[in-house]
Amino acid sequence: MTFEAFRQWVQSLAETGWLPSALGWGFAVNALLAGLIVGPMLGSLGTLVVVRRHAFFAEAVGHAALTGVAIGILAGEPYTGPYGALFGYCLLFAIGLEYLRGRTGLSADTLIGVFLSTSLALGASVLLILAGRINVHILENVLFGSILTVNGTDLAVLAVVAVVVTALTGWLYNRFMLASFHPALALVRGVPVRTLDYLFVMLVTVVTVASLKIVGAVLVGALLVIPAAAARTVARSLRGFWWLSVGIATFSTLAGILLPMQYDLPVPSGAAIILVAGSCFLICTALRALVPALKGDAA
Amino acid sequence: MSGPAIRTQDLSLTLGRTEVLEGITLTVAPGSIHAIVGPNGGGKSSLIRCLLGQMPFRGTVELDWPGAPGRLAYVPQALQFDAGLPMTVLDFLNALDSRRPAFLRPRAATRAHLLRQLEIVGMAGKADRRMGALSGGERQRVLMAQALDPAPDLLILDEPMAALDEAGAALFETILTDLRAKGVTILWIEHDLDAVRRIADHVTALNRRVRFDGAPSHGLTPDRVLDLFSHRGIAA
Repeated sequence: MTFEAFRQWVQSLAETGWLPSALGWGFAVNALLAGLIVGPMLGSLGTLVVVRRHAFFAEAVGHAALTGVAIGILAGEPYTGPYGALFGYCLLFAIGLEYLRGRTGLSADTLIGVFLSTSLALGASVLLILAGRINVHILENVLFGSILTVNGTDLAVLAVVAVVVTALTGWLYNRFMLASFHPALALVRGVPVRTLDYLFVMLVTVVTVASLKIVGAVLVGALLVIPAAAARTVARSLRGFWWLSVGIATFSTLAGILLPMQYDLPVPSGAAIILVAGSCFLICTALRALVPALKGDAA
Repeated sequence: MSGPAIRTQDLSLTLGRTEVLEGITLTVAPGSIHAIVGPNGGGKSSLIRCLLGQMPFRGTVELDWPGAPGRLAYVPQALQFDAGLPMTVLDFLNALDSRRPAFLRPRAATRAHLLRQLEIVGMAGKADRRMGALSGGERQRVLMAQALDPAPDLLILDEPMAALDEAGAALFETILTDLRAKGVTILWIEHDLDAVRRIADHVTALNRRVRFDGAPSHGLTPDRVLDLFSHRGIAA
């Protein structure tokens, strides 16, 4: 089935009432497809982000993307998807940060703080230069996500990134876990801990960039952190942790895309997604407080 | 005999401006239990990190295997980790043992194999407990279980008995002597000198430098032990 045929099929299902009426629009199907890829991918990678304590890093890369977009537009890339500059700048940001970690004697959060603010300052400067050329309000879409702007290119980028990231995280999941759980033991077991450190920040970066259109630069980091954080509070095994995180991320993404359309709410998709994820987090923490067994000490 | 001989020559380690290890020359005989004792901060764990190639040192370390290099296993000091992590004992062993991602149910054969490993250290009943919910001694048992699978040829242990109860310590002593009988070389940092006297073939006392080196029955005299731990030093 071609993508076009699939879209028409979903639209016809929406018209006959089998699916929410919001899916009668073509762009909504694009957004839903993007959500179906973004949700599980971020939920899965998020478990590693939380275990490896990379939450602040994930946020920082999202913000670096704003600068990447500005640089891309300045360099003449299309403002709907300046992927060259986005991937280029964000990967440079991530690899530079990882390289300096452990070489400066600074803690990771301090170093990320330095990188984040410098990058934002650069982004703000470039944006001011751009202000005369384009309507900078387009950047609202980049900041907070917009389902209206997800096009075929975005879906293709997302699909390629999803395949690569899913394959790599599936293959290396245990090793990523071990490397953060006990690096010295992991090294003895032949896990290339330092290489995995670099690979991991690169994975987070490409996932962030690919999810930008749907979740937004400011909020993509949150979707890497909140579902996994929520799952962590109630999970009692790695399996439960991962599935719950993927479930919450997917549910939040789909609900965040569909609810504003269905009920005509003037909320950007990214914000709606994170609000749903945040609510899931609150429910999980409440559950943990109410059900003593979830604290995990009894088995 | 499957274990290697280990020889270090003039091994020194400086961290910042502190000389942590100074001219360590020692030989670990293949298939023996070689204990390393000494005060905290005396450089025992650093020596192990150097042997494992995880710290930059001066001098040389040679591993002389009887044939092709065998398998090295390591029992780290009581795990320092995020106790809230939802990782069960089986999750942990499975992650070490297999490439099948931890978020999928382990194969029945893998699970059965891991349970057998846990049985050796008396932990089969706690396979589904979170690592963070284990007592220090139970964690040590799990760490021992991972070192025994697959079977090691060289086993390096960093204070494995620190948190163990009496039964646990007796079990570990049996495991170590059984491994020695199979020809495994064992390098063992230990603070319990009685345990060292009971099962070690050789003991090296370390406080930045080698303070003495010999058979436990000769080396661990009360005077020497007192000197070693009171930081007064001793002639080798």
